[in-house]
Amino acid sequence: MRKFKKANINKILKSILIMLSSLILAFAAAHLLVDVFNIGGQVTALFIFVVFIVSVFTEGYVYGILTAVIGMLLVNYAFTFPYFEFNFSASENIMAALVMTALSVMTSTLTIRLKVLQRIKAEADMEILRANLLRAVSHDLRTPLTTIYGSSCAMFENYDNLNDGQKLELIKDIMEDSDWLIRMVENLLSITKIEDSKGSLNIIKTPVVLEEVIDSVIKKFKKRYPGIKLDIDIPQEVVVIPMDAILIEQVILNILENAVKHAHGMTRVKLLVYVNGDKAVFEISDDGCGIEKEKIGDIFLGQSNFENSGCDSSRRNAGIGLRVCSTIISAHGGKISCESKRDRGTVFKFFLYIDGDVDFE
Amino acid sequence: MNNKYKILLVEDESHIVNLVKALLELNGYKVISARSYVEAITLYASYIPDLVLLDLGLPDRDGTELLAEIRKQDSIPVIILSARGDEAEKVRSLDMGANDYITKPFGSAELVARVRSALRHSYQIGRASSVSDGVFRLDGLMIKYDSRQVFLDEKEIKLTQTEYNILALLSEHSGKMLTYSAIIKAIWRECCSDNSKKKLQVNMANIRKKLGINPGESKYIINELGVGYRMNGENR
Repeated sequence: MRKFKKANINKILKSILIMLSSLILAFAAAHLLVDVFNIGGQVTALFIFVVFIVSVFTEGYVYGILTAVIGMLLVNYAFTFPYFEFNFSASENIMAALVMTALSVMTSTLTIRLKVLQRIKAEADMEILRANLLRAVSHDLRTPLTTIYGSSCAMFENYDNLNDGQKLELIKDIMEDSDWLIRMVENLLSITKIEDSKGSLNIIKTPVVLEEVIDSVIKKFKKRYPGIKLDIDIPQEVVVIPMDAILIEQVILNILENAVKHAHGMTRVKLLVYVNGDKAVFEISDDGCGIEKEKIGDIFLGQSNFENSGCDSSRRNAGIGLRVCSTIISAHGGKISCESKRDRGTVFKFFLYIDGDVDFE
Repeated sequence: MNNKYKILLVEDESHIVNLVKALLELNGYKVISARSYVEAITLYASYIPDLVLLDLGLPDRDGTELLAEIRKQDSIPVIILSARGDEAEKVRSLDMGANDYITKPFGSAELVARVRSALRHSYQIGRASSVSDGVFRLDGLMIKYDSRQVFLDEKEIKLTQTEYNILALLSEHSGKMLTYSAIIKAIWRECCSDNSKKKLQVNMANIRKKLGINPGESKYIINELGVGYRMNGENR
């Protein structure tokens, strides 16, 4: 809320600045025209131009009209006969004032209409992205649901005919696929939580000690994949990062999980965090099969075609998981990237801005 | 054991009721289930349960109202069943006096462990970690309250005043989830702000360092991201 107000004040200040500086420039230029070049007749045209400029580059009608009024008064007072006094009786002065005001209103109207059009276009793009995502998700949801529904039906209807081994097998499939569904839904929830209906990103950042997040990540990762070796390398000193800890935890877990599920041939996965200036850089690397170069470009877009990428076409969810990662990181003002070499492994890298002010007592 | 613990399960989704009931009965608890606020109030009065498992989304009223109603008269353990992502809701119900929460969807082992831990914590029966003669013991960790000393595997750990206060506070409530704001209020007597949360986390990081705990390996203090801390209630 406070942030919104601050942005508004900034916008107003910017508009006023544009208006004042244009007027001052025009005033100086008018002086040159009159005193040096002796072509005072063009001063009105000059101010009309300034009104146009201000109307284009500011929002709403106020600044344009204000500029028109000030410009008209200036021209009247300083540049037209009688000099240095107001004269509202001369018909050409009134004409100039009318032209300036009309121009400002018309320009502002056009500018506003243009901005509305741009917004509608952005919303439409967002809608397309959303529809793509929805399609990818529905497709991805169907597979585990088929397993869960089919396996449980099979067991319910043929309970006495299945042997213990078969039952166990079916139950295990149900468990694994529902576990996957849970993760999927968590990701979707995160997206809806931070993207509002207009597609802008909203999160609440609180200062968090890095170690807390890493601690929680490791515990969850070990619980999910007890067999996988995870190397950790984080700074010894206390690092404080303003963030939504739950979401950042999800980013790290998504990337780690990606490595486990997709990087075939992987023997180790490493989580490295280091401080570089005012940034904390997170690097998650594996030594698996890598991702094909062409696919890396849109890896964060959450498109369903990602499921066929790399050397692994067996599992889903990577697309949506990474799209969530990039959404979360950009909402934090950070950046995420991915580098991969065939058969050498993949490195996911993202940074967040740190909070330099750490007091100890 | 014929004197089973009675658990009141307040939940309106019948599938979850089936699941929780089956799990808890398998583990030797008696389960009474209520599907609404009104039913829960009636059953609570007639059965006097030993623990309440409470889902916050009830059809007739908000679950927190039931929590407030229970806390008016009783201190019996209440565990909240809540959805993930609702950290604010968890914090609110913990600050209103809930003992713990379980995030849906939950695994069977987790549910049973939380219930057992809450019962132990509240009834001090078979509690492995204990405070006796002003000394708290949990595995290799020992806190002597009188002399304000902390020992790890017989070796004394030097903590600052604040670090000791935090550790002692957590140990006094071992097994219970303490929210950031509850800890901050107790230690610094101030309101929970971003700055005080940061202060608490920095102190916590130092405590872990002094106890020689690497991230992901803490067995004494459990860190619940975005909510608070809990001292482990049981020896392992």
